Amino acid sequence: MSLPLSRTRDLVAALRRARDADDPMPPRERLPPVPLPPQRVFPSPRRRSRLAEAAAAHTTALVGIGAVGTRYATDVVLQFQAELAVAHAAVATQLPAQWADTNQYVSLVSRVADHRQFLLRPDLGRRLSEESAARWAATCRKDVDVQPILADGLSAVATMGAGPVLMAAFIAECEARGMSVGTPVCARFARVWLQDEIGQLARAKVAAILLGERPGLGTGDGLSAYLVYSPALGRTDGNRNMMSNIHARGIPPVDAARRLAVLAQLMLEQRTSGVELDLAPRAAELGEAARGGYRAPVARARLVEV
Amino acid sequence: MKLAATIRGVTHSFGSVREVLAKANPPKSGDDLAGVSARDPVERVAARAALSQLTLAELRANPVIPPEEDAISRLVEDDLDESAFAAVKHLSVGQFREWILDTATTGARLRSVALGVTPEIAAGVCKLMSNMDLMVAGSKCEVVVRCNNTLGLPGTLSSRLQPNHPTDDVEGILYSTREGLSYGCGDAVIGINPATDTPESTAEILRAIGDIRTRNQIPTQQCVLSHVLVQMKALALDCPMDLMFQSLAGSERANKAFGIDVALMNEAYDLMQRRRSSTGPNFMYFETGQGNALSSDAHHGADQVTLEARAYGFARRYKPFLVNTVVGFIGPEYLEDGPQITRAGLEDHFMGKLMGLPMGCDACFTYHARMSQDELEGLKVLLGVAGCTYLMSMPVGDDIMLNYQSTSFHDVPTVRGLVRKSPAPEFDAWLASRGISSGWTPGKHLGDVSVLR
Repeated sequence: MSLPLSRTRDLVAALRRARDADDPMPPRERLPPVPLPPQRVFPSPRRRSRLAEAAAAHTTALVGIGAVGTRYATDVVLQFQAELAVAHAAVATQLPAQWADTNQYVSLVSRVADHRQFLLRPDLGRRLSEESAARWAATCRKDVDVQPILADGLSAVATMGAGPVLMAAFIAECEARGMSVGTPVCARFARVWLQDEIGQLARAKVAAILLGERPGLGTGDGLSAYLVYSPALGRTDGNRNMMSNIHARGIPPVDAARRLAVLAQLMLEQRTSGVELDLAPRAAELGEAARGGYRAPVARARLVEV
Repeated sequence: MKLAATIRGVTHSFGSVREVLAKANPPKSGDDLAGVSARDPVERVAARAALSQLTLAELRANPVIPPEEDAISRLVEDDLDESAFAAVKHLSVGQFREWILDTATTGARLRSVALGVTPEIAAGVCKLMSNMDLMVAGSKCEVVVRCNNTLGLPGTLSSRLQPNHPTDDVEGILYSTREGLSYGCGDAVIGINPATDTPESTAEILRAIGDIRTRNQIPTQQCVLSHVLVQMKALALDCPMDLMFQSLAGSERANKAFGIDVALMNEAYDLMQRRRSSTGPNFMYFETGQGNALSSDAHHGADQVTLEARAYGFARRYKPFLVNTVVGFIGPEYLEDGPQITRAGLEDHFMGKLMGLPMGCDACFTYHARMSQDELEGLKVLLGVAGCTYLMSMPVGDDIMLNYQSTSFHDVPTVRGLVRKSPAPEFDAWLASRGISSGWTPGKHLGDVSVLR
């Protein structure tokens, strides 16, 4: 048998009164105005700590940034979010379908249908669509020394940024060294290995693909270049040589173009590429590219000013 | 052995245990890429129902790659503890799940069967568990290991300090190292992925970290994560190598793509028995990650969860001090988004722990995966609650060499505070002596590198 609700409420209220308090929480404290927190360190020349200053000579890691409790100061959060946004925006940007034509490249596309599929199906990004393959085979210049390929890869921002400059400089450097160069081409939804099919159809001795690299924090505009000797379906990563971090703050495109042309020349001389290629004879000209996976550090820029 | 189940009058039949295991997996882009996933959600549940009826003995008898074709299948069979297996072999996978989750099944009981659990058994029961099941079961498992300090004790959460640098600038590495130590990070290991994979640079970095440890008397271990062959050569250069590292995969062919095989790992282990600078008895460090077999086309038609468990079967032979899954590192073609990466982190932690390994997790994403920073922070807390042995740590979680987003120096004391867990006891005492922290409570010198010499 249950009590009527009003009766229950009366009983609970009586119990509270007996405890001298209706409010279950203790009385609120009266606070004086909260003092302003100290200005937090951040790598801007104006405000950074001595530690951050000294560290910046050796590393781009964000150190000496202090903490509030165990968390970041607000300006660190904003800088971080800005860097993340730059990277995500670079990944999300798509190369417009007309961009290749506008820039006077032959326009090819892989078997990928849309951007999500491009991220999820690297196998489709490694093969030309039937239409592209047929058109390329029918129209491209054949039996060339070097087939240059510009592509979107994982950052169309980089492709549209430094891409044309790198492409033009690379072609000029190859021609200056007496190499014959294939029809300049630009591929959409392209993975590195797409160079195998494009190069094979052109019967090129070397295929060079220049494409947007996977963005890092705050750096969505880097290009990578991969070169392979005797391109053909079935080549693996061990058959390729690569150079990454090509952009104004890393390896400038003009320097990269020269080194890539030297690399192509080396492949023609030795008739191989990848792990079998001996870089020693031209190590001085190749610079950092001779050191395999080397990636030059990128200066960290303050992205948010308020 | 019945490989079928009926849902709403429709019978779903499967051709092999391998197919049942693959189709029972929750959605993963890597399984779609491999072409092994369930056709739709109903077929997925049918596969789980069929799986739930298989006995552990049947799973052991049907590894996803036949032993005659694969050295990892043979190694697992050779190493299995028959008496531990005998205690559970009669259970169906569904019954095994219930036994694991039962309150009466303590961490000690789970430990007593750990060496009798094959990779296919661990993967099978994992597929019948929800995320919260995985956390309950994972948090019960007790795996305690010892090197220069002790990891995996109840109530502890450790971290690897990962001060990577794109050019291996030793001063740059040391700046990040000191910063991380001042946030209480680094009790699992101070471990550097080198940009240049040479014995000389490996030895140089090890000496630099060894110096800072000696100078400050820090009870932890150092490691440079170059290829095992490079580390073996570095040992000849007289450097303080506390742990030896290698990436492992779940099939012989995938390991071949990593440049290793069982004989080489046996040799590396024997060499470290004699030449290591640490106390032991645990001194190997392995990293794995769902999708690493498919990326070298060495998956043999198996799903990536089962292959991941097989990598743990390989790791187990060497009684490692550290194993971690680099869960979101390989990219969205294997784990597409936040839910898939979260799920995989909890799966890998559970499977490794069930098999008796000290599992850590590199909760991370690459910038082309669809995972937000908030989702990643959530995963770190879930792992902390699930009893994960260690997380990574680097400045703002940004690896400036490998270009991905992981756990930050700030995240480690934050998660410890939220889940009330302490660093490894030896390291905790050291942190307290420097005023950095005590247990999960930050001290007044948290983030203050001036307490280090």
